[in-house]
Amino acid sequence: MSAGTDGFVLTSSPHTTATDTVQRIMFAVVITLLPAVVMSVFYFGLRVLALYVIAIVASLLTESLCKLARGRSPWSIADGSAVVTAILLVMVLPPSISPVAVIVGSVVAIFLGKEVFGGIGANVFNPALVGRAFLSAAYPVQITTWSVPNRVFGFLPQGIDAQTQATPLAAARFEGIREELPNLVFGQIGGSIGETGALFILIGGVALLALKLIRWEMVVSLLGTVVALTGLFHLVDPGTYASPVFHLFSGGLMLGAFYMATDMVSTPYTRSGNLIFGFGAGLLVVVIRLFGGFPEGVMYAILLMNAVTPIINRYTDNRVFGAAPAGSKGATQ
Amino acid sequence: MTLKTFNRGVHPHDHKARSANLPTEDVPLPETLLIPVSQHLGKPATPVKSRGDEVMPGELLCDADGFVSAKVHSPVYGKVKRIVQQPLPGGRMSDYLEITVNVEETQTHRWERREVDFSALDRTAVVEGIQNAGIVGMGGATFPTHVKFSPPPTAEVDTLVIDGVECEPYLTCDHRLMLERTAHLIDAIRILHRGFGFKRILFGIESNKPDAIEAVTAAAAAVEEPSVEVVPLKVKYPQGAEKMLIYAACGRTVPAGKLPLEVGVVVANVFTLAAIGDWFFFGKPLIDRVITVSGDGIAEAKNLRAPIGTPFADLAAACGGIAETVTKVVAGGPMMGVALPTLDYSLTKGSSGLLFLTEAEVPDESPCIRCGRCVDVCPMNLTPLKLAAYAKAEMFAEAKRHNLNDCFECGSCAYNCPAKIQLVAWIRYAKNYVRVHKI
Repeated sequence: MSAGTDGFVLTSSPHTTATDTVQRIMFAVVITLLPAVVMSVFYFGLRVLALYVIAIVASLLTESLCKLARGRSPWSIADGSAVVTAILLVMVLPPSISPVAVIVGSVVAIFLGKEVFGGIGANVFNPALVGRAFLSAAYPVQITTWSVPNRVFGFLPQGIDAQTQATPLAAARFEGIREELPNLVFGQIGGSIGETGALFILIGGVALLALKLIRWEMVVSLLGTVVALTGLFHLVDPGTYASPVFHLFSGGLMLGAFYMATDMVSTPYTRSGNLIFGFGAGLLVVVIRLFGGFPEGVMYAILLMNAVTPIINRYTDNRVFGAAPAGSKGATQ
Repeated sequence: MTLKTFNRGVHPHDHKARSANLPTEDVPLPETLLIPVSQHLGKPATPVKSRGDEVMPGELLCDADGFVSAKVHSPVYGKVKRIVQQPLPGGRMSDYLEITVNVEETQTHRWERREVDFSALDRTAVVEGIQNAGIVGMGGATFPTHVKFSPPPTAEVDTLVIDGVECEPYLTCDHRLMLERTAHLIDAIRILHRGFGFKRILFGIESNKPDAIEAVTAAAAAVEEPSVEVVPLKVKYPQGAEKMLIYAACGRTVPAGKLPLEVGVVVANVFTLAAIGDWFFFGKPLIDRVITVSGDGIAEAKNLRAPIGTPFADLAAACGGIAETVTKVVAGGPMMGVALPTLDYSLTKGSSGLLFLTEAEVPDESPCIRCGRCVDVCPMNLTPLKLAAYAKAEMFAEAKRHNLNDCFECGSCAYNCPAKIQLVAWIRYAKNYVRVHKI
């Protein structure tokens, strides 16, 4: 195809595109997760690092095998989405989880969470949370066994976990013991591998916001709803209900708000839809945390909202520029 | 001060620096011109000259076929060699008049400025003049200009918006025109004002052309009547689109599926304006225009004034020839232009750019991840990902119900898509299907 030989590339306009690709987006997500991932290794040891590697390998293998079985190119794994799923899955599992459970979770996340629907872009639910939900049923004991983190930050007060062997949310809910805020912020607490370091998740999350890779509407709406509702209950009865700041920095809320509820595929594509999803998920988190059978509800809140995403999209569809005001006869209908 | 603009849209790299400071040059007169009878939206013009006929500059070659059509005139002294059928950029077939140019005689020809009796100018005279000069929208849409300026008696036109936006990357010919023929543009506005008595005349220019803003402001201040307000606009694509420009310049929203007349506005591109001035002040119909030749694959970027019908190969030669590395040739700008299979096309009234691109890769489409970035940038507030999905699934009625026909194919969605989905191609496919099958 050299000059003058009449054989120029023929494609539709536009003939230029922005530089972002799906691969770059996934890569950026992985990079922003690094602060929280690194801290999780400090808190729970090299064992956790091995779990990340196991999950990534299992996820990539599962996706390529699924693709091969369907006669597609296995190199779709190069888009990096399976790596993101794998890392997020490990982050929401307890530190003492067995490698076998991690493998099972990865296979389920990729196969049932994504590939059965047709691969990236077609899945209804957040794949990592599908994997986590499956493990909750398959390994009920392992999934609720919490370990005490290493003392990485000496200046922090002694945490409550040493005595209770419970996550701060469970301790607050069932034993009425409140973890101190600095421990929550720095994540020197019992909990899932990558969920505890709220501050480090926040660092990555703010970077994602700054890079416009996630939408502020979702984060603000979800966190805002949780803060507002838990704040209301806290005002009424501070003895029974923990403060909104406690709720904000405990459990999987930070990771869920910045990394799970912002998964593009399984959440609305309209901005107003993001606000609705965030509100719905926030409401469910509060209901489950304060009144449900579990101390934590982020996973189920997001999975439930994933299920209603198509209908949110449908009813938040943008109105065409110049459309007649609602109620009157449309100009183009 | 916050600059005015429209909602959504994108910020592609503008690539304008290479040609923005280069004064307009005349292309060496080609020996042959290939002039299509169809250079506008509407019915193709009907040739009134046939093989062997001698022609002279400004002489009618093709007459308009009905009201929504435009005349075509000869740019040169020469002879009609033959009439051939060839595709237009975009693929539609058209008759072309092939004219052998008498170069020497043409070079001696001058268009003399004439006095215009403004008192004799009324709306009819203005619109007839535009019609006789064969003027079409030169911003790219090529809609016959006299039709635009013939509002139904019920419509009240109170505002003229001049499009000096030039939001397509690479293109700089509008910019150069605003610098080089500023007073001429204001004179042309005076002609239009005689015919329409506009209440407001707004001249929209993006803020990346401060010299043009300054020049037009000064030229406008130099005349007493009418008053022309220069509106500096925030740089954003596709601000040159009529509806976006009207919203940006005067805050009016053209109803979906309707024309600007609905809100009392007429929009004219700066080249259209210059052509109107050329007819009234020089008696010169639309027989040439300036085109920006640019892109990494051309030796020298240029703003070239060339007769209508100049073969693209001649334009390339005038710019030092094309590089071995050229992979794609685009007629127009990179956002809305048409990729050409060969150089066997020629300059038409709507040709604003000829780009020689060297980016080899045509990115593969990957599955839609429903990120909504296309939704975020669509200036018409459509949902491109859904329209494309309907097109792929051949659910054309559903696509139409979701305002398919409000898409004007600006390309912002496909530009912004991280999965590199050819959204515009899919939407265009659905639009064509809906049109042909009358869905």
